[in-house]
Amino acid sequence: MPTVAIDNQRIEVPDGATLLDAANAAGIEIPTLCHRPGCQPNTSCMACVVRVNGAARLVPSCATVAVEGMVVESETPAVHQARRTALELLLGEHAGDCLAPCEMICPAHMDIPRMLDHIAAGRDREALITIKEAIALPAVLGRICPELCERGCRRSKHDSPVAICKLKRFAADADLASDDVYLPECAALSGHRVAVVGAGPAGLAAALELRRRGHEVTIFDQAPRPGGALRDGVGRDVLPERILDAEIDVIRAVGVRFEQACRLGTDRSLDDLRRGHDAVILAIGAIDAERARELSLPCDAKGLRVDRQTLATPLDGVFAAGASALGPLKHAIRSIASGRSAGQSVDQALRGESPARRHGPFTVRLGVLEPRELEVFLRSADPAARVDGPEGLSVEAARAQAARCLQCACSAQDDCRLRYWSDRYSASPSRYKLERRAVDRIETHPLLVWEPGKCISCGLCVQIAAASGAASGMTFIGRGFQMRIAPAMGADLVQGLESAARRAAEACPTAALRLRAASSDSKSA
Amino acid sequence: MIGAVLDNPASAKDPPVIADVSFVDEIVAARGAGPDALIPILQAIQDRCHWLPDPALRRVCEVTAITPAQLDSVAGFYAGFRRTPAGEHIVRVCHGTACHVKGSTLVEDALRLYLGIAAGTDSDSQLRFTIQRVACLGCCTLAPVIQIDSITYGHRAADTAPDAVRDFLELQLANPDDHPVPAAAIPDPDAPVIRIGLGSCCVAGGAMRVHDELTREVSRLGGNARVEEVGCVGMCHQTPLVEVAGTGPLSGSSLYTRVSPDSAGSIVRRHVRPRGWWRRIGNAWRDAIDAIIPDDGPALPTRRYAPDACDGEICEFLGPQMRIATEHCGQLDPLDLDAYLAHGGFAAVAAARAMDPAAIIEALSASGLRGRGGAGFPTGQKWSKVAAAPGEAKYVIVNGDEGDPGAFMDRMILESYPYRVIEGVLIAARAVGASEGIFYIRHEYPLAVARIEQALDRCRGRGLLEGVSIRIVQGAGAFVCGEETALIASIEGQRGMPVLRPPYPSEAGLWGKPTLINNVETYAQIPWIVRHGPAAFARIGTGRSRGTKVFALTGKVQRGGLIEVPMGVTFRQIAEQIGGGVAPGRRLKAIQIGGPSGGCVPAELADTPIDYESLAGIGAIMGSGGLVVLDDTDCMVDIARYFLSFTQAESCGKCAPCRLGTRAMLDILQRLCEGKARPDDLRSLESLAGDVKCSSLCGLGQTAPNPVLTTLRYFRDEYQAHLEGRCPAGRCAALIRYEVVDGCIGCTKCAQVCPVGAIESRPYQIHEIDVTRCTRCDICRRECPTSAIVVR
Repeated sequence: MPTVAIDNQRIEVPDGATLLDAANAAGIEIPTLCHRPGCQPNTSCMACVVRVNGAARLVPSCATVAVEGMVVESETPAVHQARRTALELLLGEHAGDCLAPCEMICPAHMDIPRMLDHIAAGRDREALITIKEAIALPAVLGRICPELCERGCRRSKHDSPVAICKLKRFAADADLASDDVYLPECAALSGHRVAVVGAGPAGLAAALELRRRGHEVTIFDQAPRPGGALRDGVGRDVLPERILDAEIDVIRAVGVRFEQACRLGTDRSLDDLRRGHDAVILAIGAIDAERARELSLPCDAKGLRVDRQTLATPLDGVFAAGASALGPLKHAIRSIASGRSAGQSVDQALRGESPARRHGPFTVRLGVLEPRELEVFLRSADPAARVDGPEGLSVEAARAQAARCLQCACSAQDDCRLRYWSDRYSASPSRYKLERRAVDRIETHPLLVWEPGKCISCGLCVQIAAASGAASGMTFIGRGFQMRIAPAMGADLVQGLESAARRAAEACPTAALRLRAASSDSKSA
Repeated sequence: MIGAVLDNPASAKDPPVIADVSFVDEIVAARGAGPDALIPILQAIQDRCHWLPDPALRRVCEVTAITPAQLDSVAGFYAGFRRTPAGEHIVRVCHGTACHVKGSTLVEDALRLYLGIAAGTDSDSQLRFTIQRVACLGCCTLAPVIQIDSITYGHRAADTAPDAVRDFLELQLANPDDHPVPAAAIPDPDAPVIRIGLGSCCVAGGAMRVHDELTREVSRLGGNARVEEVGCVGMCHQTPLVEVAGTGPLSGSSLYTRVSPDSAGSIVRRHVRPRGWWRRIGNAWRDAIDAIIPDDGPALPTRRYAPDACDGEICEFLGPQMRIATEHCGQLDPLDLDAYLAHGGFAAVAAARAMDPAAIIEALSASGLRGRGGAGFPTGQKWSKVAAAPGEAKYVIVNGDEGDPGAFMDRMILESYPYRVIEGVLIAARAVGASEGIFYIRHEYPLAVARIEQALDRCRGRGLLEGVSIRIVQGAGAFVCGEETALIASIEGQRGMPVLRPPYPSEAGLWGKPTLINNVETYAQIPWIVRHGPAAFARIGTGRSRGTKVFALTGKVQRGGLIEVPMGVTFRQIAEQIGGGVAPGRRLKAIQIGGPSGGCVPAELADTPIDYESLAGIGAIMGSGGLVVLDDTDCMVDIARYFLSFTQAESCGKCAPCRLGTRAMLDILQRLCEGKARPDDLRSLESLAGDVKCSSLCGLGQTAPNPVLTTLRYFRDEYQAHLEGRCPAGRCAALIRYEVVDGCIGCTKCAQVCPVGAIESRPYQIHEIDVTRCTRCDICRRECPTSAIVVR
């Protein structure tokens, strides 16, 4: 029973245990991609390296047997740097967008592909739930949004982008027209009270976000009715008031209180609000220097001076959102994104968590596709044309339009270990721009989808297929940078994996080998 | 199913359709059907078909225990195997270090142009010639070297490369029976001995034709001389080398260097007394004619010396050298077992048999010998680990997978001293308790393989192997197989992918059994140590580096060759005294030691002694023995790029830092050489080099950054210049241009030789070079009689 010290923590492990086993036993998390319990170490990804006894060279912890007295470094900057480089190199040739370009462009990072998948399959309520995760007022936005997301749509390289904005409106309108309007679920009451000043898009989004996270929220707004710029600044023909009111009613219905005709500084002072609440979010629109002085808050050229990550002002417990923090905004979607962001920061602060660095969701970016690669995505997309115009969509048109989506996002975005560890280690997907693998999606296997462009050549499937006795087997083809894993001797994936298909897909650290969704709701699971 | 027709419709498009694969069954019958027979089977198929047709491979899976997964992974791993049809003839262009610095890229470009092989393909449309880049043919002193089928041509340049193809085609047409080499008659006891070196470099330098001419002439004169083939003489820069050990008035030795086939006859006539008076008259008449018609060849010996005398250039070359691994250099026929025995051969084996195994290991430890493969692990310690490992079955392996471009020590030792290495193996087997030995030799070294094979046969015939079974396994073209765990995987018939150590091969090696792996040169030093005692060996050398080291001295020196020197001599002694320095007018810039795992030692540090510790101190390593001298026309960024492109291509692909990291480094170096680098590239190159070095799985990746790190350390200004779009050495094609200056006399020679028509012929006018067409092949500049073409 050797005892080793990892980062000064003494751990006794059974004979034959690896350093990775020892670290796991001690609750030290070491990234692994090519490792899988029950398989032989592949020592391929080298994301699990550690330093032993101060040696210059690092060793893979998954394959290094613990020896009595070893002194191991795991969570040190030098070791982390080596792990990050290993991850960044793997990302450098990785052929896949984790998140679709539309979702990355959307300021609120709404999961657009999932919404489209739901609509195409007729699951309109699930579509709306997906939307409301990110966008508090989808029916409103569905009428006034500048369709930023559609600029990223890969379909536009073939004909024209999917009418994403219209589909969002379709799902939201369908919900509002139903007897059972969706009310977002809210966590149990936390006991914290938050004041949100301003009932424009930023304030409404912040309030909803906080309410969902279990806090009591009151909105203080100077206008007689909530809505802010959405009510005053948008033509009624574009955005009928009943739509705005209906979506605000949903926010009211989940328990957000509204105090209208209450001007900050005149009717209630900031100090007053701070005394009565655990936190305050200022979402009162663009602020000039004079107004900032009135509130005794420092400002800069854009608006209130805030921490760009957390949107916190220098005043304890006071945050800012929307134009108040970012300066005049052209698009309501940016206000909504910022409001939600401020809500999350406040929530974190109330829980006593140190504010996490907020750097958008992690994604690899494919960049420009070869025509041949675009074909791969087009194979399963509906050939229908885009629908334009001011009207909403019929049910049939919406289904066809949503099915135009190429589903170019990665199906493993929520459980890809490469993405998970890259995010945890703040790896830059573009540090090493190697010649990236070709995009391909092979769907000949009844159980699996095979995307060789996302393979990291770890060898797990090779081992699993060999152990299962597959006659043909999976194998390494070629060597070095050009090495690929494929069924041996040009066989197809069915022959390559035989009975090992499910196990291989479960072991695959990325989306290279992935089980087909049992039903078509692949992503709602 | 002998003769089964396995014609697959999917492969029917391939030009040569392999329908009958019954030959596979014969191959399998001869080579075995176990997984470890795979590489020999593939080699045999390729020898027969010139490539590996899929139907034949499927047949292998049917008739052996080899799985499709194993077969496909192995056939695609080794560079020696082709999966696509090859042309009738294979043109191998050596891109070893010495060849690279002497312009192998230009040679390849010229050959492609001449043979009509487009970029991105490797064969001409008629499938007559296939061009193949090879890492190193091991004939570095004749750089740049190409090989067409089995014929090697040295000293090529862009303009002379096509001549080799023409010569090759002429040889194909010529009937070998036109000039038969007669059987030797029995010479008189006092007849002179004519020795000719027939190592691979010598043969590449034309020695075989000289040998045939010598034999023919001796026979014509009545056969009163012995023509002896000897191993490498070491003076590779002077090949073909003929030495005549005379008798009577011409006693002593005469050494003829760079002998051409045409002059072979006159050498023989100078030393050999014809038998019979008719022949003497004829001879006198012929010599008279020779005297009238000027002969290009050397009619006089280049150097004549008494056996123990030593003077001038030869003396300088031999001066600091000391022969242990290469004892009796140039004196013995490599395969003449009697001669070897007469010179003390196998005395060491006999002595070792009389010793306790522990005593042998103790002696070895006392000698201070360290592994000559590169890392310098104490040999005695390694042997004692294997000896101490539990288990009956143990193996002794000779690592002859010499892969460093620019190194050919192991090839030369195997070719010239096969018995010495076998002796070393027998002693090792005795010491560690092994009963099986394996020579792992590169497939690219056919002569070494043949000599070891014959030497083993002869030893077996005399009962010299006594209880140790020794066989040869040939590599198939993977540098990484020099790494011991990869080498073992290769012997077992797998991809040469290393595994993490521990466990070391000394505990669990081949087939999981304790295995001793040493380099060729290490074994070659063992018999001397046993015969002379460890103290004699330990007296040579310095510090913790004892004994001698064999180096392949190549590059920009006047006298390249195979040398053996005591540890602790300086770089300067080797480059200047032995090598004769760089060409007149040039400046020594650096010495590359240790190949792709080593470093570039700048001229300022040329007084550093060559021993393990001093080298580590300056960021280099001993390596296996490649020494490439660089002068002021060599670009250090290009050298770093060259080595990285080598290691990148040789990475097995198993671990991410090496597979992807070497590529990322190469991308940066490529950008630098093309003047497209970004200002932060140097920093990211340096940090990436550090990460690849510390987190790669095996020695290949861990040392691959060394050439980059040493050049960054000692030649940072050159990197800086490349960032600014300048190549100070005038090497990087994208950063230089050729221009005609005022001295042009309008002779049109440049226009005539330009292979791409970048110069318009304008008699009596100053010519101009179209820079958009110019490929920087340098032919025009060398052709210009007035030096009016310059590189800017």
